[in-house]
Amino acid sequence: MASRLRLGDLFGAGVRAVSKYTGTVLAVFVVQSIVALGCMLGIAFLLAQEFSHLPMFDDAVDGDLVAMIWCFKSATSSFAAIGGLMFGAVLFWQLATWFLVGGLVGVFSQLPEGRGDTARCFGASGTATYLTYARLALCSLPGLVLALFAFGLGMTMIEDRIEHALTLPQLLGPIVLASLPALLLLHYFWTVSDYARIELTLRHESHDPSVVMTYLRTLIWVARRPVTLVHAGLGWIAFLAVSIAYVYLAQGHPMYGAEGAVTLFFVRQGVALLRMAIHVGVLGGQVELGRTRPLPPRRVEVKVDAKAS
Amino acid sequence: MDPITQWYRRTVLRLVVLALLATACGRDHGTPHVRPLPKADNLPPLRGGAAPKSERIASYKIDARLDPTKHQVVATQTLRWKNTGTSAVDRLPFHLYLNAFKNESSLFMRSSRGKMRGAKATDTGWGWIQLESVQIGGAELASQLVYPGKPDESVVELPLATPIEAGATVEIHFKFTAQLPEVFARTGYKGEFHMVAQWFPKIGVRVGTPGAEQWECRPHHAFSEFFADFGTYDVSLTVPNTYVIAATGVLDSVTEAPGGTRTYVYKAEDVHDFVWMADPYMEVMTGSAKVEDGKVEVRVVYRPGQEAFAKRHLQAGIGAIEKFSAAYVPYPWPIMTVVDPPPDATAGAGGMEYPTLVTTAGDSVFTRPGIRLPEYVTVHEIGHNWFQGILASNEPLEAWLDEGVNDWADAKVMNELYGSRSSIVDWMDWHAEVVALRRAAAEPGALPSPVATAAFAFVDSAAYSDATYTRTMMALRTIENTAGAAKFAAAMKAYAQRFAFKHPTGRDLFDTLQSELGQDLSWFLDPAFQRASAVSYALRTAKCRKYHPPRGVFEVGGVRKTVTEAEAANTGSYVCEVVVTNTGVLHVPVEIELKFADGSSRRVKWDDRGNGAWERFEIERSSELTEVWIDPDNKVTLAAPTQYHYRLDGDGSASLRAAARMSAITQTLMQIVGL
Repeated sequence: MASRLRLGDLFGAGVRAVSKYTGTVLAVFVVQSIVALGCMLGIAFLLAQEFSHLPMFDDAVDGDLVAMIWCFKSATSSFAAIGGLMFGAVLFWQLATWFLVGGLVGVFSQLPEGRGDTARCFGASGTATYLTYARLALCSLPGLVLALFAFGLGMTMIEDRIEHALTLPQLLGPIVLASLPALLLLHYFWTVSDYARIELTLRHESHDPSVVMTYLRTLIWVARRPVTLVHAGLGWIAFLAVSIAYVYLAQGHPMYGAEGAVTLFFVRQGVALLRMAIHVGVLGGQVELGRTRPLPPRRVEVKVDAKAS
Repeated sequence: MDPITQWYRRTVLRLVVLALLATACGRDHGTPHVRPLPKADNLPPLRGGAAPKSERIASYKIDARLDPTKHQVVATQTLRWKNTGTSAVDRLPFHLYLNAFKNESSLFMRSSRGKMRGAKATDTGWGWIQLESVQIGGAELASQLVYPGKPDESVVELPLATPIEAGATVEIHFKFTAQLPEVFARTGYKGEFHMVAQWFPKIGVRVGTPGAEQWECRPHHAFSEFFADFGTYDVSLTVPNTYVIAATGVLDSVTEAPGGTRTYVYKAEDVHDFVWMADPYMEVMTGSAKVEDGKVEVRVVYRPGQEAFAKRHLQAGIGAIEKFSAAYVPYPWPIMTVVDPPPDATAGAGGMEYPTLVTTAGDSVFTRPGIRLPEYVTVHEIGHNWFQGILASNEPLEAWLDEGVNDWADAKVMNELYGSRSSIVDWMDWHAEVVALRRAAAEPGALPSPVATAAFAFVDSAAYSDATYTRTMMALRTIENTAGAAKFAAAMKAYAQRFAFKHPTGRDLFDTLQSELGQDLSWFLDPAFQRASAVSYALRTAKCRKYHPPRGVFEVGGVRKTVTEAEAANTGSYVCEVVVTNTGVLHVPVEIELKFADGSSRRVKWDDRGNGAWERFEIERSSELTEVWIDPDNKVTLAAPTQYHYRLDGDGSASLRAAARMSAITQTLMQIVGL
């Protein structure tokens, strides 16, 4: 039963899932790396078109603030295009995530053995639930809008304090407090979406539950089980810690030349892989907990035979 | 209840309580308390008790009382004005600056649309000044006042039944009430902080050639600052005894007064304005600047939470006084006060210059040590004490002569104080020099109006500030780079010494520069200041071909000879062709550096003055051209240099590195929204 699963059990399940399906995690990561690489090459192409003949851009990349301003001012349309490319990559990944999460949940719940079965299970589950996840994303929109509204409201309330802050505590204190309700709401709604996805995948074949009803039931289910929020929250904290640790360690290690760029790309892929492992580990724990949810009512299709009447 | 649920509920409860507490608490300064009676400065208004430095045309004796609850100043004033012209005067115009904030019909509010430098005029905080009495020789004349710019009331005129003859002096007695606005456009109150500026009736200035003098007294416009005659000020300020006061000049005496108040008497000489600040929470930090003939006390007035910034302002203030004194004329007064307004009053009151007292700005969590905005504001405002305070040009008509020249001078002082590589930014791995950063941050493209345009005649504030501040600074830096820094510094010093306390014009500056530099600079000064000009260099062509002696059919000694490819083979050297253009209207001689594959380089000079808008250079060299750099020493700072340094073969490694960083950011975002 759900009450028997503790935080440690969830983390244990996550570690087991990642270690058992390391190949699957790596495959998903390779897809992400290819998207990131494509994004990088696209950006590099746009920048090279604009700046490869201008040594000023080399100075800008090496941290010359003035050169950076000049370059930015002289190529605003290229930078707008780069912004579009980055946004497009994020959007694409969001769409791809529906398939990949569906596949992973299928694998973690059905526990297939062998590379072939795992791949088939991954593909079948991801494909089967893709449109269901898309509908779920629509259901979760009001919650995200609410979180956004809370964030906007919080920031409006502290606008003056930010503007007049003299010290870091005067700046960060109000920001943390003002954004906390929004972050908590966002965390709650994201966690609800995670468990709703799992529920929809687990019951997809046997019960074919309604997306809206599943989402609404999960809203209550998550609210009544703080362990779901704490577990996912710790996952985010680990994600943040890895990112901060990388930024801290990378300081003072600029990498020059094309070789530097390639080295940088691979180092960052290592960081990204670690963060993905954290995400997948959390997902593994969530599947473990999600399996303990009581079955939803089976949807029964009533066929009316006109002739019989 | 399981432990996680218990922890969860406790944490949520604590967060709610914390949020409520944080919302309820503001910056609490405590209750104002009676301040110890300050000592008089015991200093003469001019350092060393020097003889008068100006004609002292307009002198004021004012007795004012602050009502901090109503934010009102009730005062009496005696103005002693001398007609130093050669013609009689039949009317006296006065600035009533506070009426600029009286309603939305004033010229100031119409031209600013109620917004200025990040501050907004508020519906509840209008400011105004009311003249209750105006007397000359005991006769009440208030009923005869006329407002020539109605509905604007920022200038009032008093017609005179008996003209004031040339050389005569008149005394005018006023009673007035000044309602301060909620702090906006350099003056007003915010909570208990009061910056009392532009607050008293101030007479205009007679300008023009002898016999054709006319009044210069224009309505207050959003883009124009101030212009006034020098004089003496003897001002008594009565305020609650819980308040700290800072004011123009020196504190001559202070006495306890009835009703829990004190009366401060300030005296100032050879100044053209008087301002003061009153606040119950301020502290004072002092330091001493050495100038060639003595010392200047530098005071920073600040609230306790701003102490760390006050130290930075003090250090910058001391450095500025010393550097400006050495570069132009010694600071003539014994005290310089820097008021650091509270953060919520900075947009309205910060960053303004007055003789012997300036307000600074830039205190923010974002201006970490090394991001030298606070220092720069202090240096800039103190610098005005030379260009606005001592030279005192006509700011409404020639704002650039104060703001822009001061900007140029500030950059030099900042470079001297903090190093030329990182005079404005020296934070983490980022560095920037003032002029380079200002140049990069300026609006691109040509100006809609010349630099030498009256402040109120600019199309908008962006055009005003770009021309008045940045373009002037860049033009002066360009002349400095062209003429040589030492010679130019000497010329500017001569200008300051010649015209101190004499209200010089732009023509005075140009004439001094040309005579001191021994050059006719009209080719530069006229287009740079009098026309909406720009420099626009560009590289049009840069390519090389292999060199070989000429081939073809030649007549040699009457014999026709065909030189073939075999006879005139490639020599192994190259002929490189570089074409540069300048499509701007301003033409400045410039150097062009050519770099070659073997690591060598060569500089060529292009003087396009009167030589057309383009030039072709052909150079024979043993290796190929790799880079062309127009103006490699950044001498022509009026131009935008993005395309000036060009390499013939592209190199995408920097693009790849930048792309790697951007894609890492993208991937992080991908992992936040997705898997």
